[in-house]
Amino acid sequence: MDALKQALHLLFSLDPELLQILGVTMRMSFFSTTISCLIGLPLGALIGTRSFRGKAFLKKLIHTLMGLPPVVAGLLVYALFTHYGPFGRFNLLFTVRVMVIAQCLLIIPVVTGLTASFMEQSTRAVIDTAKGMGLSRRRVLFLCLSESRTSLLSVVLNAFGRSIAEVGAVSIVGGNIQWKTRVMTTAIMLETNKGNFSFALALGFILLLIAFVVNVAASFVVREGHDD
Amino acid sequence: MIEVHDLKKTYRDRTVLDLPALSLAQGETLALAGANGSGKTTLLRLLAGTLKPTAGTVKTAKPLLYLPQKSYAFRGTVLQNVLLGTQGKKQQAMELLEKLELLPFADKKASSLSGGELQRLSVCRLLIRPCNLLLLDEPTSACDPQSATLVLQALEAYRKETGCTLVLSTHTPRVALEAAGRLLILRDGKPEADGAPQALLQSPDSDWLRAFIAGWRI
Ligand SMILES: Nc1ncnc2c1ncn2[C@@H]1O[C@H](COP(=O)(O)OP(=O)(O)O)[C@@H](O)[C@H]1O
Ligand SMILES: [Mg+2]
Repeated sequence: MDALKQALHLLFSLDPELLQILGVTMRMSFFSTTISCLIGLPLGALIGTRSFRGKAFLKKLIHTLMGLPPVVAGLLVYALFTHYGPFGRFNLLFTVRVMVIAQCLLIIPVVTGLTASFMEQSTRAVIDTAKGMGLSRRRVLFLCLSESRTSLLSVVLNAFGRSIAEVGAVSIVGGNIQWKTRVMTTAIMLETNKGNFSFALALGFILLLIAFVVNVAASFVVREGHDD
Repeated sequence: MIEVHDLKKTYRDRTVLDLPALSLAQGETLALAGANGSGKTTLLRLLAGTLKPTAGTVKTAKPLLYLPQKSYAFRGTVLQNVLLGTQGKKQQAMELLEKLELLPFADKKASSLSGGELQRLSVCRLLIRPCNLLLLDEPTSACDPQSATLVLQALEAYRKETGCTLVLSTHTPRVALEAAGRLLILRDGKPEADGAPQALLQSPDSDWLRAFIAGWRI
């Protein structure tokens, strides 16, 4: 109860540090989700609707990557972007950008894998019917996407959920630097470690609230799609 | 027009279709019959080009239209379904819906239709556009006898207008008799009988065919 009160107080007092952390969190999650979906949705749609050599292997690979532990992804990106690493000259370590890169590494396989298996199951009938009607390739693809938009939205939300809740990778490559790369999850970790349980809990409530608002907003977007 | 030579479809080591030859002139009509699993859908999909043959060649007139065995309702209303991918054909769409007694449903969600209604909608979606080859997989399987008549009449009118070649599969003797001038009966993926529907039905020339047709009459 205390934590809830504190959460509301924090929010309504417009605590500048909280606002800054929220800003970084949203910026990171927005870019991670957008980039992952821009790559993962079309890739998954292709894999799910085409047959080609090595498809079974590719799917196994993606499913393996879907289970990639965040800390491992973090470590990998850290190794790539550290001063002496292959991408060291970009000087990106401990920035929001590299946090986005690490998260994309985690989330792209998830978006790709979910989209592919979804498309595989449910778009066979759409493709057969639409092709049978003599519709153009572009039109068939468009129909596949629009017919499955409810499920695709849940893939996007899943990506966003992962991004905003993820802590392992961003703490390694971002470093949880105050006023710079600190996000909600790493702040919660820090406060917990410092023993500020109710403050950490308050941050947790706010995180939950964000997730809820995003989901409600999203459900309005596809509202029109529910036909029963 | 259809020209098929030595057509084979094999899954793993099972050959589900083995058709040495099939040719249809432009405007001809063919009904496919045979038990479940005899290869009707496989043959239609090979003709439609949505399935690659294991061996052999398929040549068909284009453009072709193909109705899958299972009907699918796209999002949106019945009318929107018919108009998908067309332009300026609202009048024609309404006429088609009227012909197939779907006009009262024009503004209903397509997903709310019954099985037979949806099947008639699927037929409308094809007949709104011209083609030279029409391939229909059990187009009346979900229809009651009256609805089946509507579908058959619509097909006849479409054929008169476009002069298209028609291939359809069916389990209903009446559909074969009314819609097709030729009947091909498949048995385990092989052609068992081929001829005028009337003749095959009246004087089957083998024990297997007699038994098959006896079963058909029920
Ligand atoms: N993808 C597939 N893999 C293996 N067997 C298949 C596949 N598709 C169809 N078959 C088999 O091919 C046979 C013919 O099927 P089908 O052409 O659909 O029969 P029909 O339409 O005459 O009922 C069936 O025994 C079916 O099990
Ligand atoms: Mg079939």
